[in-house]
Amino acid sequence: MAVQESAAQLSMTLKVQEYPTLKVPYETLNKRFRAAQKNIDRETSHVTMVVAELEKTLSGCPAVDSVVSLLDGVVEKLSVLKRKAVESIQAEDESAKLCKRRIEHLKEHSSDQPAAASVWKRKRMDRMMVEHLLRCGYYNTAVKLARQSGIEDLVNIEMFLTAKEVEESLERRETATCLAWCHDNKSRLRKMKTCKKALQPSRREPAGRGAPGHGHAGLPARHAHLPVQAPESGVRLHRLPWFFLLLTLCILSDLLDPARWRMLIQQFRYDNYRLHQLGNNSVFTLTLQAGLSAIKTPQCYKEDGSSKSPDCPVCSRSLNKLAQPLPMAHCANSRLVCKISGDVMNENNPPMMLPNGYVYGYNSLLSIRQDDKVVCPRTKEVFHFSQAEKVYIM
Amino acid sequence: MEQCACVERELDKVLQKFLTYGQHCERSLEELLHYVGQLRAELASAETGSPYAVQDGVELLGSSDPPVSASQSAGIMIRCTWPDLHFDHLVKMVAAKVFHSLQGTPLSATLSLVMSQCCRKIKDTVQKLASDHKDIHSSVSRVGKAIDRNFDSEICGVVSDAVWDAREQQQQILQMAIVEHLYQQGMLSVAEELCQESTLNVDLDFKQPFLELNRILEALHEQDLGPALEWAVSHRQRLLELNSSLEFKLHRLHFIRLLAGGPAKQLEALSYARHFQPFARLHQREIQVMMGSLVYLRLGLEKSPYCHLLDSSHWAEICETFTRDACSLLGLSVESPLSVSFASGCVALPVLMNIKAVIEQRQCTGVWNHKDELPIEIELGMKCWYHSVFACPILRQQTSDSNPPIKLICGHVISRDALNKLINGGKLKCPYCPMEQNPADGKRIIF
Repeated sequence: MAVQESAAQLSMTLKVQEYPTLKVPYETLNKRFRAAQKNIDRETSHVTMVVAELEKTLSGCPAVDSVVSLLDGVVEKLSVLKRKAVESIQAEDESAKLCKRRIEHLKEHSSDQPAAASVWKRKRMDRMMVEHLLRCGYYNTAVKLARQSGIEDLVNIEMFLTAKEVEESLERRETATCLAWCHDNKSRLRKMKTCKKALQPSRREPAGRGAPGHGHAGLPARHAHLPVQAPESGVRLHRLPWFFLLLTLCILSDLLDPARWRMLIQQFRYDNYRLHQLGNNSVFTLTLQAGLSAIKTPQCYKEDGSSKSPDCPVCSRSLNKLAQPLPMAHCANSRLVCKISGDVMNENNPPMMLPNGYVYGYNSLLSIRQDDKVVCPRTKEVFHFSQAEKVYIM
Repeated sequence: MEQCACVERELDKVLQKFLTYGQHCERSLEELLHYVGQLRAELASAETGSPYAVQDGVELLGSSDPPVSASQSAGIMIRCTWPDLHFDHLVKMVAAKVFHSLQGTPLSATLSLVMSQCCRKIKDTVQKLASDHKDIHSSVSRVGKAIDRNFDSEICGVVSDAVWDAREQQQQILQMAIVEHLYQQGMLSVAEELCQESTLNVDLDFKQPFLELNRILEALHEQDLGPALEWAVSHRQRLLELNSSLEFKLHRLHFIRLLAGGPAKQLEALSYARHFQPFARLHQREIQVMMGSLVYLRLGLEKSPYCHLLDSSHWAEICETFTRDACSLLGLSVESPLSVSFASGCVALPVLMNIKAVIEQRQCTGVWNHKDELPIEIELGMKCWYHSVFACPILRQQTSDSNPPIKLICGHVISRDALNKLINGGKLKCPYCPMEQNPADGKRIIF
């Protein structure tokens, strides 16, 4: 591998890159735990209710058959409780096991065998790429890559696929899926103080265009924000004077503006990221930016392209364009590389200057020497071997 | 490593708690259901008026002949798993008394007592289940806190604004880079899918060599040497320039495979050996080894001193050799540029975040306002030195076109700005050796 990464460095990088890998399944675990608690509480209260009824009957002088039927009810409720409890616990356990699997994979970075370490690094890059592709919306590619690389368990595909469904429904100007999503996550959204966001979908409904019409049944209060109520569109409008009608049309057209829908999709996307405590940019993008900066030198961008190196990633076609707006690497110490061989020029291979000012390694000059003459590869000028002067770099 | 261990510890605790809770929940609910079922059965049999007796209660029954079913249900009652001994007595009493109850008659007092005890038990059990589950919450939230403590939730970017977001074109270029990387890694189907989804057009010229390479590699993985040999022969000249022994290795592997076929393949192996002739000079020793192994053909190569020839690692090695040589021929590095950049980013990211934290803490944000350069050097290893970088030892700055390196007469090199700073009265004294010289004698050098 070209880049050397020690175990300590890998550990530090882990700390910086892997928060989403662990946090997202943890949030699922949390959600399932809360759902399990709710289920158990609900069924427990049902059981308690039925038992209380039985107790009440017992306190009077009950007939055996009434007691028997009440007991039947108790048995039934207990069975339901048992079933629901077992299901919920299974779901929670599954989430916890997924977290565990991911942690175990992350631990493999410190494996002693170099082959295992390089497999881990390759998987790391694939994982980050899958997440990046999911964020860009290339879902099929991401799923295919995850499958081919064997990392399906380690990437947050479900989260993005759920978001995809919501976004696609919003693109079709339907708000039901989005409202369902809001309801599903309402406690956490409330914590994030995004009630404004929850209002927006409902404002679409009265427009009556393309909306299924039943999504907003439970949110009448929010309609009050509209200046004109238009639930059963036709009726009210007829009774309005003409200027109110114009006003309505203006408002409605604003609501129907496709740009508003796009904004809504964007806002949903960012809120979804925040909900799962992800940033707006993929880890892949940020890592790539840092990496390109660390390699970028002014020579990658010389206008005549003379100093491009075939091995340098930043000199390659696509990455060269990408790295243009990024800062350059900082080098406090000189490091010299011979243009002919690509070898380092140091005391073992001292840098030699030809009379035209171009510097090459001593060993390379030896290798291109013919009849005591050397031809400068860059200017094609011919010089005597003895004309090369040693330069001293501190 | 410590970070993972910390989170794992909390996770293990949670998993353990789920396991024990699940088992406990199922068990206690089972017991409850079983018990209530029993009670109900008993009540039902009492309802239909069938008398039954318990051991002690037989005397109470008088002379009636208890039917078999009655004694069975009584027996079940006795064997009730409820561990309360006092309760057992109660049960026996109840069984006796129930005999006297007829259909429709009110419940007797003792049975009523049993029922209310049962009710209390049910309520207690289920409420305990609910509260036990709630208790697990603290362990679950501890996992989340461990994750928050040990991993950074936010990565700061190298540049403050989303520099690639704003331009649609940059996104396209990034997708292109990913496609190129996927082709180079041999993940052709994924690359095709990405091209389709992002509506990118990749030149066939670009794809072609990778398609061919992949085809040959797949054949090699299935131990088919044909396509690889074809390719090696057609590129023989250039491979020789690279000092590559690929063609020889391919022939060798084929020969070894023939040998492994046993004595039946002897003639074939011998005639194949003629292919070694052009390599006789370079690979004399290896050819001798292989010819020598023919002696053991009848015995079986596995038992001979030449068994190492049959090692399966040769196949993995040939794939690697092929990939390396093919990439050199194509002018590509074995690792795609994207991999190298990503790997260097993995090294750079924590360093940059550290320095940013330090800068913010010390409130000297002025240090990183020079947006054209990173604030700190990133050590990537010597293999990543692709270009020469000269940092003036005096000003500690990289040289550039506007500030090029100058070689003084004594051979020392400093930047032009440093040179200008050192001029004293028209003369220049080298900072490293006490040689005086004319500033104009300094020669601009190019690395």
